[in-house]
Amino acid sequence: MKQKLSKLYSWIDERVELQDLVQFMGKKYVPIHSHSVWYYFGGVSLFLFIIQVITGIMLLLYYKGSEELAFESIQFIISKVQFGWLIRSIHSWAANLFVLAAMIHMFSVYFEKAYKKPREITWLTGMLMFFMALGFGFSGYLLPWNELAFFATKVGTDIAGVVPVIGEPILMFLRAGEDVTGATLSRFFGFHVAVFPGIFTVLLGIHLVLVQRQGMSEPEGFDPNVKEKTMPFFPNFLLRDLLLWLIVLNILAILAVFFPWELGKKADAFAPAPAGIKPEWYFMFMFQTLKFIPAKVLFIDGEILGILAFGFAGALWMFVPFWDRKSAQGEKNKLVNYLGIFAVIYIIILTTLGWFL
Amino acid sequence: MKKKLLIILTSVAAMFFLTGVVFADDQCVVCHQGLGDKPSSLYKKDIHFAKGISCADCHGGNKNKDEMEAAMDVSAGFKGVPKGDEISKTCATCHSDAEKMKSFGSSLPTNQMEHLQTSVHGKLSLSGKEHIAQCVTCHSVHDIVSVKNPASPVYPLNATKTCSKCHSDASFMRTYNPSLPVDQLEKYQTSLHGTLNAKGDPKAAECASCHGSHNIRSAKDAKSSVYAANLPATCSNCHSNAEYMKEYNIPSDQFDKYARSVHGKALLEKHDIAAPACNDCHGNHGAMPPGVESISKVCGTCHALNADLFSASPHKKAFDERQLPECETCHSNHEIVNATNQLLGVTSEAVCSKCHSEQENQKGFIVAKAMRSAIDSLEMNEAHAAALVDEAEQKGMEVSDAKFKLREAHQARLQSRTAIHSFSEEKFREVVGKGLNVASLVATEGQDAIDEFYFRRWGLGVATLIITIVCIALWLTIKRIEQRQSINKSKSK
Repeated sequence: MKQKLSKLYSWIDERVELQDLVQFMGKKYVPIHSHSVWYYFGGVSLFLFIIQVITGIMLLLYYKGSEELAFESIQFIISKVQFGWLIRSIHSWAANLFVLAAMIHMFSVYFEKAYKKPREITWLTGMLMFFMALGFGFSGYLLPWNELAFFATKVGTDIAGVVPVIGEPILMFLRAGEDVTGATLSRFFGFHVAVFPGIFTVLLGIHLVLVQRQGMSEPEGFDPNVKEKTMPFFPNFLLRDLLLWLIVLNILAILAVFFPWELGKKADAFAPAPAGIKPEWYFMFMFQTLKFIPAKVLFIDGEILGILAFGFAGALWMFVPFWDRKSAQGEKNKLVNYLGIFAVIYIIILTTLGWFL
Repeated sequence: MKKKLLIILTSVAAMFFLTGVVFADDQCVVCHQGLGDKPSSLYKKDIHFAKGISCADCHGGNKNKDEMEAAMDVSAGFKGVPKGDEISKTCATCHSDAEKMKSFGSSLPTNQMEHLQTSVHGKLSLSGKEHIAQCVTCHSVHDIVSVKNPASPVYPLNATKTCSKCHSDASFMRTYNPSLPVDQLEKYQTSLHGTLNAKGDPKAAECASCHGSHNIRSAKDAKSSVYAANLPATCSNCHSNAEYMKEYNIPSDQFDKYARSVHGKALLEKHDIAAPACNDCHGNHGAMPPGVESISKVCGTCHALNADLFSASPHKKAFDERQLPECETCHSNHEIVNATNQLLGVTSEAVCSKCHSEQENQKGFIVAKAMRSAIDSLEMNEAHAAALVDEAEQKGMEVSDAKFKLREAHQARLQSRTAIHSFSEEKFREVVGKGLNVASLVATEGQDAIDEFYFRRWGLGVATLIITIVCIALWLTIKRIEQRQSINKSKSK
């Protein structure tokens, strides 16, 4: 058996020069320190993304992306297809955990200042993937074509339409018309299963190659030459990664069985919007902020102001490697920390308020 | 000339005085009687004349002047013949004034004018200014007498004729309400009310008894006394009055019974105006109790399938021979309650056992017993299936499909209730069988969903256990590898 495997290995090695890669990976190490735990969240995000791809493809075998059939096809998946309920439930739960893991990953990179030179491109691709994850969430939410999704999409696209000058064309583009209709569903479906995955895969490729190339970022004052303070990436860290993935898989299974994702009622464009309509939790802090801003601030429309503020904050966040010159030079930059802490607290408080108000 | 007139008038006045007429001083009457015109001769019969009301009270002018110019002087308030709405307004000057009416010793209500204005007759006529009907249209003019006086055109025995003057005139009715039939009088004459009326019974219902007199509204108007939901109460005004109905020898509990019936509950409690009121079975203008032969036709207008099945069943002949009214024999007439399964079968409360027993008419006894047990088992199976589906739903399983199918079982049960009227076990079983099949299918789906619920939990348990074992194994492997690595490292040192 062992002989056969090594024969296969050398067959491949002759053709793709695996030896180089194995040697390269053998040299890679992961720093051990009090914040090492955060290194795992990139891997967890990757694992959840892989789950999304697999379950998404499985759902695609039965899902029908049209106004007349979308709801019914999901009803069919969860009631008639073998384990369809499980796949659908895992896809929905994993989507939420994916956003959560990506968020934790992003904040840990931010606070560790792991974005600084030479990792600017890694950070940028990561941020783009994070925005795309939100796009995945927003587009996927509409696909069951149920009441909540329908009205949430209406509200969500409405907000986009408020932006001056470009808002109206964006709204028309997102909805494929003036209203949320079957055309919007087809459009979101296309984005969710083709456009986004395509772009995301390219970004993920760059991101992962860069991570392998540059190795793990080390915290301030870390001495990589002390052997006790590092751990080989392969197999030590990778196996630990796998262990965590299994635990996440367990959590996912428990969530999917005990809290199966509800389907609700089919969307009806002529029905009044259901009471207490709320966006997904990861949009909640923005939604709640827009609700809190008064209708008019001086002479500017409150909603426009909110959206512009979020746009500005997002850009500031995304380009942090370029304005945080201090960290790049190895100095401490407290401003970055304060901004990060403010963002975390703000998101937690506003999300909680949105949930309970 | 003046002198001549004066002589005539004084002699006429003297004549009246001699004959003891009270109104010797009412110059209007004095002169107009002398002229022999129609109004003044009619007015002698008028109730207003008897009450001492002068021509001038309606027409204006001075009744004390014998000179024509002075008596009919416009400056003295002479109006001449009132036209259009002025007529009704003239009547209303007294009839809407409670004090004045009391002074004449009248106890008539004083809201007739108001009622007239809100009625269909109070709508504007062609001229666009006046009501379609004025007081005098029905009450006549100058010879107005009390409604209790048989000479009155609105006396119960004359009312139908008075109303039909317009309502039987197709060309007139076309002007105001073209959709209203003009054969009400003809129909009425065929009704029991109409025949009694023709025989001179003033107690029998005539137009005003149901439609009201001054406040007549369209039957589509929810405030109308003949609006579907108000009609039973209107009929019961007379028919629930035991004292009033005494001489006709018919019961007076129909309204109470009707109110308890499925029809009455639907109409009176749920306000479903599609539910039958009295007139839907008895007719309205041609009101008559349906005869033995026609009862199934009356019920069959709505319950068509049941009536058809019954007519084709062996019961038809048997009922006819025994002069039994078809539907009524089992369901009664006014108090038709919801037909439950208890009605069917051979128990003491079942209607079948009225004619069928183990000894007599045994064939029906056997069929009734079999039908009852079949419908009972359908009901039981349906309830069982519904309970399973409910339980599965409670557990959060997706059972909308099964729930939808359950409606088919329910539908079959409803159909089986109709199928009873074929009184054929074979036809009945066909329908019940369909329901039983669906119910068993739904029950299986419900049970499957419940089983699936437990399977998911057990499956999760097993999967979690396996993953956990793999986790532990992986952890041990990591530890072993790291142990080996540290040994290797210390060796290399």
